[in-house]
Amino acid sequence: MSASSIPNLLSLRGSRGGRGRTRGGRAGPGGPGPDAAAAHNATIQATDTDAAVSRLSAVELGYLDDPFARLFVQQPPGPSSRRLPIINRGTYTRTTAIENIVSHFLQTTQGQKRQIISLGAGTDTRALRLFASTSPVITDLAYHELDFPATVAQKLTTIRSSPQLQSILTITPNLSPPPPPPSPNSSQTTTTYQTTSTTNPTNTLTLHGIDLRSLTATSPPLPSITSTLPTLLISECCLCYLSPQEAASVLSHFTTLIPAAGLGIILYEPIKPQDPFGRMMVSNLAARQIRMPTLEVYKQPEDQAARLRDAGFEFVETLTVDAAWERWVDAEEKERVDALEGLDEVEEWVLLAGHYIVAWAWKGGKFELPGT
Amino acid sequence: MLGRKDDEKALRQLASSVEPVSLSLEILQTACAWVWVTPEALINFLIASRQRANAPGPCRRHLTPKSPAVAAQPASRRPPLNLEMGDLDRAIAQLRACRPIPEAEVRELCHKARELLIEEGNVVTVNAPVTICGDIHGQFHDLMELFRVGGDVPDTNYLFMGDFVDRGFYSLESFLLLLCLKVRYPDRMTLIRGNHESRQITTVYGFYDECLRKYGSANVWRYCCDVFDYLALGAIVLGASNTLSPNPDTSSEAPTIDEDSDVEIQVCNADGQIMTQFSRQARSRVHGRSPSGAATTNGVAPGAGAPTNTGPPGSGASGSSGGSIGNPAGAVLCVHGGLSPLIDVVDKIRLLDRKQEVPHEGAMCDLLWSDPDEIDGWGLSPRGAGFLFGADIVKVFNHKNDLSLIARAHQLVMEGFKEMFDANIVTVWSAPNYCYRCGNVAALLELSEDESGLGVFARSNGEVGRSDGGVGSGGGGGSRGVLTESSRGAVMSGPARRYRVFQAAPQDSRGMPAKKPVADYFL
Repeated sequence: MSASSIPNLLSLRGSRGGRGRTRGGRAGPGGPGPDAAAAHNATIQATDTDAAVSRLSAVELGYLDDPFARLFVQQPPGPSSRRLPIINRGTYTRTTAIENIVSHFLQTTQGQKRQIISLGAGTDTRALRLFASTSPVITDLAYHELDFPATVAQKLTTIRSSPQLQSILTITPNLSPPPPPPSPNSSQTTTTYQTTSTTNPTNTLTLHGIDLRSLTATSPPLPSITSTLPTLLISECCLCYLSPQEAASVLSHFTTLIPAAGLGIILYEPIKPQDPFGRMMVSNLAARQIRMPTLEVYKQPEDQAARLRDAGFEFVETLTVDAAWERWVDAEEKERVDALEGLDEVEEWVLLAGHYIVAWAWKGGKFELPGT
Repeated sequence: MLGRKDDEKALRQLASSVEPVSLSLEILQTACAWVWVTPEALINFLIASRQRANAPGPCRRHLTPKSPAVAAQPASRRPPLNLEMGDLDRAIAQLRACRPIPEAEVRELCHKARELLIEEGNVVTVNAPVTICGDIHGQFHDLMELFRVGGDVPDTNYLFMGDFVDRGFYSLESFLLLLCLKVRYPDRMTLIRGNHESRQITTVYGFYDECLRKYGSANVWRYCCDVFDYLALGAIVLGASNTLSPNPDTSSEAPTIDEDSDVEIQVCNADGQIMTQFSRQARSRVHGRSPSGAATTNGVAPGAGAPTNTGPPGSGASGSSGGSIGNPAGAVLCVHGGLSPLIDVVDKIRLLDRKQEVPHEGAMCDLLWSDPDEIDGWGLSPRGAGFLFGADIVKVFNHKNDLSLIARAHQLVMEGFKEMFDANIVTVWSAPNYCYRCGNVAALLELSEDESGLGVFARSNGEVGRSDGGVGSGGGGGSRGVLTESSRGAVMSGPARRYRVFQAAPQDSRGMPAKKPVADYFL
């Protein structure tokens, strides 16, 4: 195990880093003296590591097929990355539900150039999996990932050092500045790296190193993001870390930028912070220094729907994760997944998965997203 | 991560004393946090592995660090152990402090426990008063809270309905403590098997990993699993009273009901204050706000249609008079999960060969896996094992077996307990804030002893008369073993039930090795 991976593990395991003991931390500035903003950024970036480990666990047990999951977890293979069945099923269901909506978008925009913009993409592998797939639908796709510059730089390093990824992506030289020193503070600087699919050059993946909070209705568009393409935004547990104002501001950036070409969005976030389970969730996350300010405002599925309508979306749908399991996973697939580990904790599953929602919305009439 | 100065000191000492591999303090600290062990446990593990690596040999001694905190543990230095009372009491004290006992002691304990359990029938007979508990799931500090709320052993007679291990971080300490108490006070502690007391389930849900982490080998896990195979599958509670015993904790200000004998259901908080009461006649609420857990009890009192059988309760054997001898309130069947389509009378449970791993199907599996549900008849279980069963199944079963109630665990209920089907079955859940995540409260169920002089059976623990019926072990009541004719014809109307509801132990009350538990979420 490399030394730098140890703090990652610690941040996974909990909130013991609050006593100035964070040297060598994942993105720590190195100096003493607490920097609350930097610490918060680092905490949020660490949630991505958490998600990556969960994904790897689901992949290794056969829930999901993702040949790239291992590349983004700095941890020796083995039981250490294994999550409980209830978490694996949640990872599976959430991934499957979002994939269902994404593939609907890709199908209904087939034949034209389109873009997907993933907010806080972190180590997410969706773009890689799309590019590696042999589906004829995956063409003319400009995929953009936005995250902290340090996270983006790390991802680029992973791509550069992996023959497996090199075989499906070519880093476009002229758009690639030398990687800046990773720093969670550098919210001002933005960096952009463009890569192109080796199998289909009409597909591109652009990594934008940026602090999302700098996006507003009036901020200039990011490099190579186009206002005239049908666009799908994805926020997979990302905007919930911003304040409601900041999150609304990010949304307004894209609704203003893409007024007519057709804009869709997928949100995946926790809900119901006020029942006993929800209160415990908020308090447990707070113990890990994780705050989700939007959760206090958009408490129920109806609140999420209203939020998307207020942002100007015409069609809005929501589905809790347990409902997504019930409705979107067919009987045969359920049987397959059930057989992987067996899920004893039925009540807990309904409770836990009922506290997460997938909300999606679209406007502009250029494409459609699925119903519930 | 290291909460205590002396932990750090001990680690520092260890780091300097173990040669030739030099371990930095930082590495050891990281290891502690990473593998979720206490520094003490890690030290034990390192010493044990060193001893394995070096044994036999004269150099063993100087591998043992000199710090007293560190030196206390190595199994090889303990005196030979036959688990005398003193040893047991020492082990109990150590486990109560949430510190694992050495592997050799675990082996001895498990051996002893098996000798004891093998004498028990598949369905253990337990006399009221008894306090019935549901799932524990390795939440050691909450188990301590349970004992605080329900009373200590052996003062309180406990019946735990399984699922001692998995999910929580202290399965080992929780199960071994319960097992020690079982061996120490066999007539005051009844343990029956849950679906997590299984080799297969514990490898998925944490107990196996925990043993490996805390001992460095799977031996302890194996010893424990061997005990699991001998745990009883169910219990029958006899001699429960129609009326509640006075609540010793009730302060003078607490609301009381005019006639105690009217109270069928009483819900208390962890401090013994009565939150809600339900009277027997109308099952109407007498005082307090409605406990959602008991909200489903409206309806006819169970067993009001007097059963016609009077043989040994639960056996379904017929007799000449109505009412069950020694059981004015009817017997209570306790089982972890629920009923099985293959079991129509309790005697069929007694015929099973239980000394095996929990099978994937069949009666034994169903008893540990099934759930009651709002359906007619039987249904498929979403758990993939056992069945769902409806009110009709429960009512017919209880009538046929002369039972007034089935108590079971197995399902998380946010309010700690939930009565269903006109109070023919109750779920008791004893793991508060389950998995440190669910935000639920927990409950235990107290059944009072019938003191009307109608008599109860002596506890026999099944077929073998091992027990002295509680005499000499603190059991109350002088009428044990006496059958009284006057009990005949008594109208059976279900035992009075006192639920004590409690919350998770506060963080700061957790003992010294407690790492703050971290629950997983989708991020």
